[in-house]
Amino acid sequence: MSDRKPDAYGSSAPKTTDTSHRRTWDRTAYAEKAASREAQIKEEGKARYEASLKGQKYHAPHHKSSILNDNEHKFEETHDTSARQARLNVADQVGKTQVIISGAGQGKRGKSAGFYCEVCDLTYKDNLQFVEHLNSRQHLVASGESGEVRRAGLEEVKARFAYLVANRKEAKAREVVDLGERIEVAREVEEREREEKRRRRNEKRRKTEGGVGVVEVKVEGDGVIC
Amino acid sequence: MAHHADAKRALDERGYTGSLIRGDNPLKLFEKPVRDRIIESYYWKEQCFGLNAATLLDRALELTFIGGTYGVAQRPTPFLCLAFKLLQLTPDKEIILFYLRQEEFKYLRALAAFYVRLAWEKDAEVYETLEPYLADARKLKRRTREGWTLTHVDEFVDDLLVKSRVCATTLPKLNPRLFLEDEDKLEPRVSALGEELEYMDGSDGESDGEVEELEAMAGEHVSANGNGNGHLVSDDGGESDEEMDGD
Repeated sequence: MSDRKPDAYGSSAPKTTDTSHRRTWDRTAYAEKAASREAQIKEEGKARYEASLKGQKYHAPHHKSSILNDNEHKFEETHDTSARQARLNVADQVGKTQVIISGAGQGKRGKSAGFYCEVCDLTYKDNLQFVEHLNSRQHLVASGESGEVRRAGLEEVKARFAYLVANRKEAKAREVVDLGERIEVAREVEEREREEKRRRRNEKRRKTEGGVGVVEVKVEGDGVIC
Repeated sequence: MAHHADAKRALDERGYTGSLIRGDNPLKLFEKPVRDRIIESYYWKEQCFGLNAATLLDRALELTFIGGTYGVAQRPTPFLCLAFKLLQLTPDKEIILFYLRQEEFKYLRALAAFYVRLAWEKDAEVYETLEPYLADARKLKRRTREGWTLTHVDEFVDDLLVKSRVCATTLPKLNPRLFLEDEDKLEPRVSALGEELEYMDGSDGESDGEVEELEAMAGEHVSANGNGNGHLVSDDGGESDEEMDGD
């Protein structure tokens, strides 16, 4: 359809019709997709048949773990679950604005407003639901964790205890107690913050044309559940 | 050996396989409403997922108060959530003893004492393990249903040995010390106060302030262990804030 015979007036521009503004689909691409899908179904069917001959059940590989297959973890090498090292920083999202592509998300899938899990491509409106998801089987399998925790013996407990105590001591030692020093430190921190603010303000002013600066839209919403 | 990061498997009634306490799922030591509140709380979901006996220390060292549930909605305290986690993990005796014996962190000690009272089945062992801590007089912050109170480690341990409901849990039945003494499973209790008790027996009714205070404290212990000296508890109501070693 790209090269046309020139029409009565000599123009060979592509002709617009009633339906030129409508969406068209790339048939070949979709045909390929369909073919590959059918092939996969056939293969799975074969695998299931073979497994049933042996008396076992065939388990389809999870689609995310096949991605992980290439890089570090193999499907079998799931690593043990362990506790969260740091808290989920949900509170620092408060008051921030985020630009979201409107068509990106459908329900929970895809990135939209809220807490986004990259591994599973799901968005949650609520930090409670988000945390539940992070603990769920679905997420653990997708991130290659086994969902089982290694049992700790006495030696490990003692070692961990010693480590934590040492950490605390260190943190305490670093604390500056002398009043004079504290004033100094506080003054320095304030100076630095002021510089930062000034710099940012200047940048914003420079960026927009009229020198007006970008108007910040602050979203109020402390919907953080804790 | 590995256990599950989440408690869902253990809470499921059907087919629980795992260590039993008193013949039943350890998690059932907490009542159903309390269990539900714990499972739904944010602290449990965020902080108590995937803990084992070692990483639990991270959380336990950060505890700043004890308590059961509080507020209108019956929110569980972190203390209660960690106790629940311990029940799920059912760590070995030596690990719990390690938690108890360490001197530095009193809330960890309180947590271990709570676990001992709940989980250990031999009464004599419970008494023997917990009684030394009746001498620990450090202060504890306690969250009650509508506010905060001050208590002490020894008061808390005493509550565990005497009361029937502590921290939103009904404690399993424990034979009174007298019974165990009669059956010769335990020696009669030697109070940490020792001679001061004898002194007081001799000088009943003296209005020496110090003696009265000691009396009150001993009175508490006396009623706790059922020592039948016929000693009357003084009117102070057992308020003994005698500073032994400051916090």
